[in-house]
Amino acid sequence: MATQTATADRPKQRLTAEQKIQKLRELYADAPEIGKAALENGIRMLTEELSAPPRAETAGRIGLRQGKVSELTVFLPFVKGGAKRLRGLLQLLEGNFRAADAVGTVHDMRFVFVDDDTKLLFATAYDGDFDPYIEDFATKIPHAMDLWLSNCEGYPGMRSVQAAKDWIAKHQIAAEAWYVNSPNLTAPETRRLESVGKAVEELLDKLG
Amino acid sequence: MAMATPMLDLHEIQATVLRLRPAPYFGTHVLLRVDDAQAGREAIRRLTLHIASATNWWSKTNAWLAIGISYTGLEALGVPKESLQSFPEAFRVGMAARARELGDVGVNDPQGWEKPFGTGQVHIGISAFCDSEEKRQRTLAIAREQYEGLSSVRVLARQDFGAQPGDLNPLGYKDGIDQPPVEGSGVEPLPGQGRPIKAGEFILGYPGEAGELLPMPQPDILGRNGTFIGFRKYQSRVGAFNRFLHANASTDQERELLAAKLVGRWRSGAPLTLAPEVDDPALGADPRRNNDFDYANDTHGRKAPFGCHIRRMNPRDTALTRLTDVNIHRLIRRGTTYGAPYDASALSEADDEVPRGAMFMFISAKAMATMEFLQQEWINDGNFIGAGDEHDPIIGRQEEGATFTIPKEPVRRRVRGIETFNVLRGGEYFFMPSISALQWIADMGGG
Repeated sequence: MATQTATADRPKQRLTAEQKIQKLRELYADAPEIGKAALENGIRMLTEELSAPPRAETAGRIGLRQGKVSELTVFLPFVKGGAKRLRGLLQLLEGNFRAADAVGTVHDMRFVFVDDDTKLLFATAYDGDFDPYIEDFATKIPHAMDLWLSNCEGYPGMRSVQAAKDWIAKHQIAAEAWYVNSPNLTAPETRRLESVGKAVEELLDKLG
Repeated sequence: MAMATPMLDLHEIQATVLRLRPAPYFGTHVLLRVDDAQAGREAIRRLTLHIASATNWWSKTNAWLAIGISYTGLEALGVPKESLQSFPEAFRVGMAARARELGDVGVNDPQGWEKPFGTGQVHIGISAFCDSEEKRQRTLAIAREQYEGLSSVRVLARQDFGAQPGDLNPLGYKDGIDQPPVEGSGVEPLPGQGRPIKAGEFILGYPGEAGELLPMPQPDILGRNGTFIGFRKYQSRVGAFNRFLHANASTDQERELLAAKLVGRWRSGAPLTLAPEVDDPALGADPRRNNDFDYANDTHGRKAPFGCHIRRMNPRDTALTRLTDVNIHRLIRRGTTYGAPYDASALSEADDEVPRGAMFMFISAKAMATMEFLQQEWINDGNFIGAGDEHDPIIGRQEEGATFTIPKEPVRRRVRGIETFNVLRGGEYFFMPSISALQWIADMGGG
């Protein structure tokens, strides 16, 4: 399932913007008319993008990172009845994820049920590398992890840390591209700036 | 020392895993290369008879030997392929190959390491720990007799170490105070050491904090009661350290406070949390008091800065920005100081290169993973304590323009111009086998 070819066959030598445009014209030669027109009409912004230094890096074993923020996407087959249980759990939680709050580095999470409720597509943005902290999940929040992941096939349980790491890596799919608006802001830093901003406003209110 | 019933196979575990270095201490690390498997195994067989076990590790023992074997060493000794493959990957490729994961880049890059570190030639490490120079000589002679006659076992390097006057490290601090307490080791934790940590975190073959056995090298007899050692040699840049103190503080008193803020302890060992204003040498010297604190009354870091060395290496009850179980990121460490003692008047760049520093043995059943975690998260980053890009001021690698923040009323002080005070000059991973495992290795060739 996991594929990691995206970065491997990228050209080593950086191409110039002109060379890239040329490559795109070749790629789009057999595109629908609307695509071909878009390439020519949108060439100004494209040229800017193609001339900029690359922002994407890799995160840990698999996945992409931009600045301090990484992406993780997993495709997990449900066990029998797993989709029903997880849907029920998620509906009752109504968007409250204390474990994610506790982890501190999770920017967002999305749970998408696909292929007629046979698979879970889980995607998240988080800070830094995922691997170093999995052991902390195992001793601090094993139940929160087991409660939802036990609905997926082959899940070894969070306390079997090494097996759990390998299981996640096995089901992970590297994103082909990854964009982060504020790549240098970690989740804790965002919260800190939020409170700093509030304090500054209060101070200004008092002064004004 | 309050005793408890030992639950571990102390007679199997090497003494150095649990025994503190003597005070004062004298010793030597010897690095060996094995060019012939049979001769290597013969050396192991002879040496094993002199390797100290942890039986009665708490009693005052004045001289002992320890042994570790690197991955290339296990290969050179002819350990079978299926066993070799059962070792963790980071151990197999070695410390130098994991430089990226360890953050050993820039000034700490393996390209700048002293030989033979990182060459793959270091096969066996022997360490002698003693309480006098005379015993050091005698203990070393015993070790030497075991391998000296074997022409295919070669000494690559030998490094003496020893306590500085007053048991201070090369930057002038008392060190080695806070060690993680190991459950079942037979001794109650000292005040402030925290609850005992599951033995499996430090010694193979016992459950760890998650309640499960950690993956263990195979066969069982090879892995059980063994552990891993991250060995790292640092050169202390004493001139840079003193220049930093002089540039940022104008009196001796201010310099000592700044030096204490970097570490979280005064040079005497007295923790800032208990002695925030002035040093208290009696407190520093008392093992029942010098570690007996948490950070409940210092939640803003105004006594011990969040970024200080000891708060990073053991945050205790500090609120961290990431979900963290502090108890699974601890290492037992045996620091061994070498070279010239600390010199407060050393200010030149030449002083930075006077041979002096520390060689650390970081001991854990998952030493490689823990060291990578510590290097990435707690040493060469500051996000986990809300300190942004700041690094550990003592053992961190500093970039141009690095800062150190000292929380203070009414506003924090940000000190600039911090440099890499301890530069990495080499390192190796060793497996520290049990006594039975050493015999198993020695007997591999059929006795």
